[in-house]
Amino acid sequence: MSNWKHLSVSGGIIVLLILVPLIFTRTDILTFFFLTLLYITLSQSWNILGGYTGQINLGHAAFFGAGALAARYIWLHFGLPLPLAILGGGLAATIFAMIIGFPAFRLRGIYFVIGTLVLAEILRLVFYTILPRADVMPMRLLGAYSLIPRYYLSLLIALLTVAAVYWISRSRLGLGLMSIREDEDAAEASGVDTQRYKLLAFAISTFLTGLAGGIYAYYSAAFRAGGLFEPVWTFDAVIIVFVGGVGTILGPVIGSVFFVLLKQFLSLYLPGGIHVAVFGVLFIIVVLFLPGGLVELITRFRKRTSGGSIQIDS
Amino acid sequence: MILEVKNLLKAFGGLVAIRDLNLAVNEGEIVGLIGPNGSGKTTLFNLISGVLKPDKGEIRFNEIDITGLKPHKVCQGGIARTFQLTKPFMQMTTLQNVMIGRTYGSEPVRSMRQAEGECERILEFVGLGGKRLSLVATFGLVDRKRVEIARALATKPRLLLLDETMAGLNPSEMEDALRLVKAIGDSGITLIVVEHVMKVILDISSRLMVLNYGEIIAEGTPQEVVRDEKVVEAYLGE
Repeated sequence: MSNWKHLSVSGGIIVLLILVPLIFTRTDILTFFFLTLLYITLSQSWNILGGYTGQINLGHAAFFGAGALAARYIWLHFGLPLPLAILGGGLAATIFAMIIGFPAFRLRGIYFVIGTLVLAEILRLVFYTILPRADVMPMRLLGAYSLIPRYYLSLLIALLTVAAVYWISRSRLGLGLMSIREDEDAAEASGVDTQRYKLLAFAISTFLTGLAGGIYAYYSAAFRAGGLFEPVWTFDAVIIVFVGGVGTILGPVIGSVFFVLLKQFLSLYLPGGIHVAVFGVLFIIVVLFLPGGLVELITRFRKRTSGGSIQIDS
Repeated sequence: MILEVKNLLKAFGGLVAIRDLNLAVNEGEIVGLIGPNGSGKTTLFNLISGVLKPDKGEIRFNEIDITGLKPHKVCQGGIARTFQLTKPFMQMTTLQNVMIGRTYGSEPVRSMRQAEGECERILEFVGLGGKRLSLVATFGLVDRKRVEIARALATKPRLLLLDETMAGLNPSEMEDALRLVKAIGDSGITLIVVEHVMKVILDISSRLMVLNYGEIIAEGTPQEVVRDEKVVEAYLGE
């Protein structure tokens, strides 16, 4: 019963999302939807490693940036087809992940957090230095620029990411990843090759992040390479996951909608950059008082109104 | 012989925790392992299960050398363990805890549906049948220990290492746990049991080993061992 309900609700939402460009012709509204979907991919991919596997990646920007830069070069500068470029972006991100993951996961705890943080900062500085000039789309592309294909691509990748997490959460793989989050010693003692599964989660997570980067490379008319590695790409994803609900499927989705809406709203009424402080405070409040995020808030509310049985959805 | 340990040595800095230790366990036995605090019981478990690597010596399981293998390999090979301080997966359901053992242990089942059916039987067996969808974080000590035993059983071990399963239980809970351990032994799984509660260990063990300062100082039937002078000395002093 409830499975059918879930299926029809998700189906309905997907149909509505497909219709969005037909309903809304205003660029700002379509951009809002595009960004929300991009952030769903960005945060949901972080959630695979941070929420399900318990490995805090503070260098998410490194993989977003690697994906974006690789895709942009493959597409614009080498002139290969766009789908190939976006896939290339995903692969580039995964390759970086394996380079840092092999040594970092041999050690437990803080080393992975520091390793990823440092990687993103190094890449940021390197690319501001070696590619200091803005990468601008050529005129022939800017002239024909349309948001609609960008929107659909963003929708496709976001659906792919959410579907991947849905599948993981119900699979043997998901059980293995969660066991690592809960207790690595006990996971090993139960037969889980923790090193291998941490790397696998990292590879899946960064591949999807790289795809998000690829979409950004297709979307952005102009960027500076170093800017793709800015810490905001990491911390926006982290904040969305925690505000939405860490280690849940719906959390990053709800979090992204909330985040992009609030960000647009705040940047309208507050002087530039202040919204970052607001999100910082919000993050602290959620972590302290609502560890399950908005998803937990909704569950609590529904339990109170329906008095229904407790559902555990992990 | 299912487990054979030869000339095992493990030192932490200058402290020798396991000193040139030899032991053999036959299939189907329930071996009790006792010894004063710090005598090396848990270290021995950690060496057998692969958490620690020995400095010297050899561990053979089913005639195969498993010395220095990683813990997950040891588990997949058929040796499961529980922890002295329980380590269930807290933010997961009872069923999920046990499913991990069943889908990753030895003879792992890849199909989630099949694994679920088998795990429900294991949960009935340990007395958690009615709590399959509860979060383990909501459990008290007794149920957490049950989850841990169920998870270990789900890996389909041929040898199970139980590290102080009775610690912290009241007498009636201990009776239940004792019945469970005996039932596990009856199902054909070889057991090595570390326990401080003498009544328990004398009741369930078919053979008893006494560890002191990393060496086995006595071995035999429970009746023989408790009369051994060296054992009395190790526990009570001269």
